[in-house]
Amino acid sequence: MKVLKLTPERCTGCLRCEIACSYMQTATYQPAKSVIRVSPFEGHTSYAPYTCTQCAEGWCMTACPVGAITINVAGAKDVVDDKCVGCKLCTIACPYGTMFYDTSTRKAFKCNLCGGDPACAHACPTAAIEYADVVTQDWLGDFAAERVTHMLAVNGGR
Amino acid sequence: MPTRHLIIGGGTAGMNAMRTIREEEREPSEITLVSAERPYSRMVLPYYLDRSVAESHVFTATGIQLGQWKVKALLGRRAAALDTKANVCTLDDGTKVEYDDCLIATGSTAVRAPVPGADGRGVHSFWTLDDARAVIDEIKPGSQVVMVGAGFISFTILNSILSLGAKLTIVEVAPRILPRMVDATGGELVEAWLKAHGVAIRANAKLTKIEDAKDRKRLKFASGGDLTADVVIMATGIRNNLEWLKGSGIVIDKGVVVDERLRSNVPNVYAAGDSAQGKDLISGQGAIHAIEPTAQEHGRIAGANMAGKSVAYRGSLIINIVEVCHLDVASFGAWDDGKAEPISGLKKDRNAYRKLLFTGDRMTGAIIIGRSNDIWTTNDVGMLKGLVQTGTPLGRFKEHLRKNPFDIKTAFIAAKTTRTLLPETVLGRPSMAPGDSPVAV
Repeated sequence: MKVLKLTPERCTGCLRCEIACSYMQTATYQPAKSVIRVSPFEGHTSYAPYTCTQCAEGWCMTACPVGAITINVAGAKDVVDDKCVGCKLCTIACPYGTMFYDTSTRKAFKCNLCGGDPACAHACPTAAIEYADVVTQDWLGDFAAERVTHMLAVNGGR
Repeated sequence: MPTRHLIIGGGTAGMNAMRTIREEEREPSEITLVSAERPYSRMVLPYYLDRSVAESHVFTATGIQLGQWKVKALLGRRAAALDTKANVCTLDDGTKVEYDDCLIATGSTAVRAPVPGADGRGVHSFWTLDDARAVIDEIKPGSQVVMVGAGFISFTILNSILSLGAKLTIVEVAPRILPRMVDATGGELVEAWLKAHGVAIRANAKLTKIEDAKDRKRLKFASGGDLTADVVIMATGIRNNLEWLKGSGIVIDKGVVVDERLRSNVPNVYAAGDSAQGKDLISGQGAIHAIEPTAQEHGRIAGANMAGKSVAYRGSLIINIVEVCHLDVASFGAWDDGKAEPISGLKKDRNAYRKLLFTGDRMTGAIIIGRSNDIWTTNDVGMLKGLVQTGTPLGRFKEHLRKNPFDIKTAFIAAKTTRTLLPETVLGRPSMAPGDSPVAV
């Protein structure tokens, strides 16, 4: 299965992925509705994108009481809007924090890999986001650990 | 001869067990379902109440689907007795069902405050589909609704009642609202939010009587101050349905005592959901969570083992979330553990609260409150679940959280929680999408 391969060292924090994602998912340029999120590290001197891992368990999918989360052609867990009632169980079941809830539509939403052609990967100018046939990993852990540690040292943290 | 599985109860636990049996079995088996009601999801009832979905949306299986699953469904009947020596279950109409193994998944019943008038006309529980139908019939724009009990069940239907144009008062016998879901600080924040959104709240209010008052109801309290209502909803707790197991030889404490494969003391009798006193992930002790996610995981573990696979269960995590008037309120694990070390942050102007409970450098419980239009709150809800579920050692990132209790994402990522989570599955294999379960022929 192709997944989103993230290389945080390449991220410049330009947010093109968020804009592309929201446009593809909701037809609006509204990063607040993006399901890929760029976070700052080290006091805004470095950045990294974070999104759904399409995990094997599919905690969102198994938690859904109405079968509204399924697996699409790209192998991504995908919310079926007509079935979702907006109970938020998926948002609390997902241990990665990558389920979202739209207060205007009252539906859950998440990364569905754009059905196999992810807009974020197209939009990324530095290949920090690639759509590749690799095994999903903890792409951000080492990067973040090193940078947060640095920040703690700068701030006198122990 | 094919194995004969008997599933007693068509709620979340029973439905997940049936589906998992079909996913896991190597040989076709017979499945019989006994269910007092046609299977539906309780989680959908609040959305049926506010009319955002049709009644048909609440059902989790149609007759056709049960047929496709090759399930023999005995609906509208209850199990009355279990003979664990003869492997026979007797139903309330006298029917006897023989089984090779069976699952006790008979759920819970709503309990009303034991006061005169609690069973009268215009007084409802909100637990079953029939309850929901009755409440829908009675709530009109402008109706005065009094909800007795300020716990999880009340809070799941609070938005629906308001959206129907009713005026709502919540009364609670305890000194504060949501006593079993958030701490006092969290309760105060939610109470202030609700009052600002037009909900009247009366804590420390012991209901003594409900009387008829012409076409309305009058509620009397020990401390005085009558309330008049058009509709009274009793959300005063639930009790699991296990009386029918008397004399069966099944060992029951607060629920059926089960091992890590959800088996009772009788090896071919399993229990799941509210019926089962299963392992709590944090304490390691047996507990009744009475929540949807525990019923779902119990059902899947029991189903896999009934299908002949040996799957041990790590234990279930208490997770609760409600949204009231666009404020998200959630808690996880041992959020009320007095022995844990708390780190908390409160931003009253943002209606935001975080309480992180630590045992050493691992998070063993958490409370999170924040506005639901704040997308970061939703992300943090999930990440806190991940941190408590994995028990990831936070090391120096615990100190980061002490200084920045709202910066959960940084700590989650930097502690490499994802690395622990990626291989984790409940059944030891990737989950199947709903509808993808193969059907034994």
